[in-house]
Amino acid sequence: MNLDYNDEQTMLRDQIQKFCESEYDFYKREKIVKSTDDFDPNVWNLFAEQGWLSMPFSEQSGGLGFGPIELSILFEEFGKALVIEPYLSTVVLSGTLLDKSTYSEKNQLIEKICSGEIHISLAYAEAENGYDYLSPNTNLDSKMILNGTKTLVLNGANSEKIIVTCIKDDILNLVILDAKASGVSMNSFSTVDGQSCSEISFENVKIDESNIISSGDDALNLLKETINLASLCICAEAVGCMESCYHKTLEYTKGREQFGQPISSFQVLQHRMVDMFIESELAKSLLIKAMLEVNNRSDEMYKHVSALKSYVGKSGKMSAKEAVQLHGGMGVSEELMIGHYLKKMISIDALFGNADYHLKTFSR
Amino acid sequence: MDINFSKEDIAFRDEVKNWLDNDYPKHVKEKTDKGITITKEDLIDFHKALSKKGWMGYNWPVEYGGTGWSASKLYIFNKELGLAGCPPILPFGVGMVGPVIYTFGNDEQKERFLPDILEFNTWWCQGYSEPGSGSDLASLKTKAVLRNDLDEDYYVVNGSKTWTTLAQNADWIFCLVRTDNSGIKQEGISFLLIDMKSPGIEVKPIITIDGDHEVNSVFFTDVKVPAKNLIGEEGKGWTYAKFLLAHERFGIAGVGASMRQLNRLKEIISKLENPDLQKKVNELEVALSAIEITELRLLSALQNGGHPGAESSILKIKGTEMQQALSELFVEVSGEYALMYPGPHGYENNDKPAGPDYAAEGLSGFLNLRKTSIYGGSNEIQKNILSKFVLGV
Repeated sequence: MNLDYNDEQTMLRDQIQKFCESEYDFYKREKIVKSTDDFDPNVWNLFAEQGWLSMPFSEQSGGLGFGPIELSILFEEFGKALVIEPYLSTVVLSGTLLDKSTYSEKNQLIEKICSGEIHISLAYAEAENGYDYLSPNTNLDSKMILNGTKTLVLNGANSEKIIVTCIKDDILNLVILDAKASGVSMNSFSTVDGQSCSEISFENVKIDESNIISSGDDALNLLKETINLASLCICAEAVGCMESCYHKTLEYTKGREQFGQPISSFQVLQHRMVDMFIESELAKSLLIKAMLEVNNRSDEMYKHVSALKSYVGKSGKMSAKEAVQLHGGMGVSEELMIGHYLKKMISIDALFGNADYHLKTFSR
Repeated sequence: MDINFSKEDIAFRDEVKNWLDNDYPKHVKEKTDKGITITKEDLIDFHKALSKKGWMGYNWPVEYGGTGWSASKLYIFNKELGLAGCPPILPFGVGMVGPVIYTFGNDEQKERFLPDILEFNTWWCQGYSEPGSGSDLASLKTKAVLRNDLDEDYYVVNGSKTWTTLAQNADWIFCLVRTDNSGIKQEGISFLLIDMKSPGIEVKPIITIDGDHEVNSVFFTDVKVPAKNLIGEEGKGWTYAKFLLAHERFGIAGVGASMRQLNRLKEIISKLENPDLQKKVNELEVALSAIEITELRLLSALQNGGHPGAESSILKIKGTEMQQALSELFVEVSGEYALMYPGPHGYENNDKPAGPDYAAEGLSGFLNLRKTSIYGGSNEIQKNILSKFVLGV
């Protein structure tokens, strides 16, 4: 038994932390959020230079062959800095799905993802299907014509290609198409935490047979595994947020004086911060368990990600709400980072199944 | 990173399970399985069986007759005994006073007391809390005055201790006593071992809200205690007391015992088709898993040469909250049958009035376990400790 990160993993964390401190401070982030693209191409290029865009891909595909442990480290640090760049969408959701598929052109696409030249989105969600991603209404008919509407497509507006989940002959298929193909229309907006996201309609879009990435059981497993990995990543992000909520609140209460003393000297606030610390540690424990299960591709990996997601959905919001409360009026002002953690937590809970949903999944 | 135990540890776990299957006294197991409170004799049989296997000194170094187990073996041992529903090993001798004696006692004291602890020949109890000194333990007032008669040095002890667990069964009590009032309160405290048969000691039961007699008041009136029963130096008792408190933190989360309760609840609730209860038990299962892995993280840090610090306070707080939440859920699943309260000893035979078996123990457990967030440094005190050592405020 050894639950400590190894030297390489610790170095990776330091590297990401330093990068976020120097290249991604809160003011920079705010500028990106307010820009029309909701991401910064220069930052994306820096990600490519650091090798981060190649992290999870197999070495055969030109990647670094890192697994869920390293991805979790990356996302924890992203959570602390509230990074909104579309890593989840392009690298995790679309990239790892392509990498594990047998799609003929996957190597060229992954190469372009690694170099930062291309964005790809995964369109997995539909308005009427809740958190059930495995039986979409979007349909691919016998003449290979695609019809349907996808919602909450992360980074859709910036993507050159879209991977779409659809049903053909009663089985699940994953198809890839150009975002600019005829019949594709997009309505884009920003999410509460500042990401770009789109509702995309497909009206009689012609699909080439060669652009079916996967179908049947393979497609089901590929999609499930990809969503599970992405869920793990955003949970790691939540754990990073929780740690920052606690640290920033502690720092603030130590500096804020009322009644002639720092408000951190009040026991009622101390105990609430202790609770935030404890919750952050417990969430970290579940993260470690889940990422090791995913790393080992164990039968229990879905169960443990669900446990983690249900836990951070609740305790993450608790931590962020407490952080806002303990910052007093400053907590609700936009110019402070602290309120933005709360928005991130709302977003994390809503993605890929919320706390209640995963609590049920966990017990199945 | 690797969350799996080593081959050696897994072999050890099998050995513990094997002992539980074959050598854990059957008459004790029968009662604990049915949720019937066990007697003093049952407890002695259980401890003697452990002693026979050589496991009584589970947390002691080999040189004093202990097992010398690694942190992971200790963890496995605690967890498996909890899962099997064993009564908690009485901590007062082997967990508390034993380590104080072998660390701070003299050779004569080691020879005199340690073997009897390992063989469970003496039943120890703990004289810390006083009516006026709970969380503020250092304010204690029980007084010990050194005298000399006919070349014999002895202390005369006057005062009282309270919440003394199972003092009615105890042969000896280790006490924090005040030997000096002149300096700051922590400096005048000494650590004294007192024979419970000494004239002038009176034990009075305190009946707790579950109806049980577990704790007591102990009164000392001019009790004569040989000076050779003083541990270490006079006035250093506070240092030994803190050492003792830090020593018995491992396993404090009670993960194994809570898992046993959780598994029973899951089984009961799976038959009730009640989504509200199902949700509650699911939440507890996730939270218990978080506690378990937090304990494993602590274990891993220990094995890599780290020192457990404030983390053990997390385990105390969350572990006891978990025990309480599980017992409360037992009451909830019992529905109206929870009202039919059988008292602390459950229904000892089959002609119980009504309701499912688990209704009999739910409420007594719920009432009894209120103590867990109060004892061992209340959970609020634990949060003060975390405020100081983690928050730095």
